[in-house]
Parts: sequence; structure tokens; C-alpha cells
Amino acid sequence: MLVLVSVTVISLDESGRTHGLTSGVKSVATDVFSPLRSGVDDILRPVGDLFAGAIHYGSLEEENHKLQAEIGALRQQVAEAPYQSRQRRQLEQLLQAAKLPTVASVPTVEAETIAEDPSDFTDTITLDKGRDQGVTVTDPVIGAGGLVGRVVQASHDTATVLLITAGQSEVGVTFGSPTQYATAQGEGVGHPMSGEFISPSVPVSVGEKLYTNGLAGAAFPKGIPVAAVTAVRTVPGAADKTVHLRPLADLDTLAYVLVLQWSPAP
Amino acid sequence: MTARALLRTVGVTAVVLVVQFTLGLDVTVGGAHPDLMLLLAVAAGVAGGPAEGAVVGFVAGMAADLLLPTPFGLSALVGCLVGFGVGYATGSTTRDEWWLAAAVALVASAAGVLLFAALGAVVGEGQFFKVDLLAVVVVVSVVNALLAPPAVRLFSRVLQAPSVDGARASAAGGRW
Repeated sequence: MLVLVSVTVISLDESGRTHGLTSGVKSVATDVFSPLRSGVDDILRPVGDLFAGAIHYGSLEEENHKLQAEIGALRQQVAEAPYQSRQRRQLEQLLQAAKLPTVASVPTVEAETIAEDPSDFTDTITLDKGRDQGVTVTDPVIGAGGLVGRVVQASHDTATVLLITAGQSEVGVTFGSPTQYATAQGEGVGHPMSGEFISPSVPVSVGEKLYTNGLAGAAFPKGIPVAAVTAVRTVPGAADKTVHLRPLADLDTLAYVLVLQWSPAP
Repeated sequence: MTARALLRTVGVTAVVLVVQFTLGLDVTVGGAHPDLMLLLAVAAGVAGGPAEGAVVGFVAGMAADLLLPTPFGLSALVGCLVGFGVGYATGSTTRDEWWLAAAVALVASAAGVLLFAALGAVVGEGQFFKVDLLAVVVVVSVVNALLAPPAVRLFSRVLQAPSVDGARASAAGGRW
């Protein structure tokens, strides 16, 4: 009976017939849980840090040695916290991204990352802005350097963003001259993205940048930097080149992002 | 399962849900987090049997589905099947050594993770196999194996039902 209920819920959700209902239920649950999580987090965070520290004791010890060695050199440098420096650099890059021609004409919402992957099977981040601030599902998200992903879930005050590196993510991209089209496919947590549908006859070089193509029905506006080519291999007889990509946005240290209030053309 | 046991199950699930999505997310080994919601299904299956395991697994999975970006109902289905499977597989044993609960949790948790990936692929989420499954299996299995003995003890109490004469009797017929 319970198996039947589960299968029915999954199939209805996946078919899209009740997706609005299930995403609504998830949204309500997130709204209820967010303040609870925030409160409990404040209490439990020190305990979590203690556990995390115990688990990573070996690497922490090694890191500690490295840091101690660096202290002498750092004393000679201008007294500026590296964290603040990185934050400032991200903000500067984010402002640059906001000046992109296609982005400058779109209303944006500034947001901060408050959590990362709740699941081991997806690559997502959680933002501190939600529907109340104008964030809606499918909104593209950019960060310092380029495209970050798109909003897949929005509650009142938070939003979940599926990163472009997630296995579920596909971004239509363009590169080269004359203009070539391809798909930047996410390959999951910890893996490089791949460039799909690039014919062996198409010239592509390491370091080349790929941009969103903005074709009709595309999920992202045109001209946003997505990734750079890190490796190209042509397998004899294969229909496509094997192309590895690195996201231009530093997805591992995302602090601030811009949510574009932009919807794909119907 | 009695209404009171179900209420207690919901209470325990709510507490574990909060721990999983706060403390649990801070503990990352090799890019993988522990999965305490799956532990509930395993513990209930060991302590109460297949029916209790399935119900607790369903409730815990559905609660997790509310906060996960994965297909709605998938964790509930996996929890239900794992809870039932564990209850069925351990149904003939009356031994209550702690290591047996740990061993069952180790195997069942690994099976649960792989089942989640496989069923995800069946419903169109084939990219679930692109994650580092070995790391997820190892982290979830080992953490659940370590926590299984106290979790089984907890569920032995949670699933207890009062007998007609007022004395406490186990809903699982005295198992574990």
C-alpha cells in the first residue's frame, strides 16, 4: 500500500500533473523549516564544527603545519584578511557580470548563499532570498565569473539553485568564429562539465570560453559566460569530440550571486 | 502499529529531520553526508518487523522529501522498501547483539543508497549515477552502522504498545 502511494506520488510529480502541488507542499515545508533550522543551527553549529573537526583531524593537522609556515610570510604583507579579500573580489566580479549587455537590461535580486547541497545526489545551493523578494522558479543565477545555475525551488524567503555542474543541468552554449553551438552538460559533484554535440570537424581549443546561446526557448539569456575548455580529445570514429569544461564562476566559494528576474520566451 | 506508536514515530522523525538538515549537513566526508532518515527505517525494521519498518521508512522518507530537491516520494519509497526488507530479513532472529544491528544497518544502508540511485534512474534521474556513489555508500553505511545499536533500542521503545492489562508489551513480540 505504502509502496503504491510512493510510486503514485513520484509518477504524478515527474509527469508534471501535480508538480505545482508538490512544489507548493515543499515550499510550505521549507517556510516552516527555515526559521527552525536557523534557530537550531545557532545552537548546534558549534557541536557540528566539533564533529567535523574530529573527522577531518588528519587534514586539519596538516593544514595547521602549512598555516604555521605561512605565518611568517603573511606578517610581511599588508594586514588584510584573505576572506575579506576574496569576498571583495567576488563582489567586484559580480558587478562586472551585472554590466553584461544582456544582464544590464534585466531586473536582478542580490542574494547570499546560506547553505549547500542537502542531498548527496544533486548539486544545489540555497539562497537567502525567495518569492517575497521577487525570486521565482526558472530564474537564472549568475555569480562572480559567470553563470551559476537556475532556481528550481522558491519558498517565501529562500530559494534553491541547481548549479550548472549538477548532472541534471544542460546549458545551450555558443563559441568560436564562425559561431558554433553546443551543450554544456553537468556531470555531477566533483566532476568537470562536458561539451556535448561538438563535431570532430569543429575547431575548439583549450581555454576557449563558452557563452549562453539564448536560442528560442533557452533557459538562460544570451551572452553569459558559462565555462572554459580545459581538455579536448578526438576519438577516431566518434560522432562528437570529447570536451571537458570548467565553470567560469567559482562554484566552490560562492558567497554572493545575482538572480535575474528573467523568464524563457514561451 | 498503534496510533500512539505512530505519534511517537512522527515525533522522533521530526527531531531527527532537524538534526539531519542542520548538524548532518555540516558533517561531510568525501563530499557525502550521513543519512539519518534511512537509519530510522533500518532501526524500525530491526526493532519492529517488516510492517513497522515500512511505515517508519515511509514517514521518514516523506519528511526528507519535503526538504530535498530530488523527486518527491523517492525517499519515501526507498525508506519503505528498506524498512520492510530489514524487518523481513531479520524476522527469524531473536539475537540482540549490538553488532548484529550494526551489521544489518551497514548492509541495508548501502542497499538503500544504491536503490535510491537506481529508482532515481528509473524515474528519469539517470544522473544520480554520476555522483561518487562509493563515497555516499561508505559514509551512509558506516555512520548508520555506528548509530544503529542505540537507534534500535530507541525504536524498541517507540514502537512499544501497552497490553490489555496495562503492562507494557512490545509491538514486535519482544524482539530486540
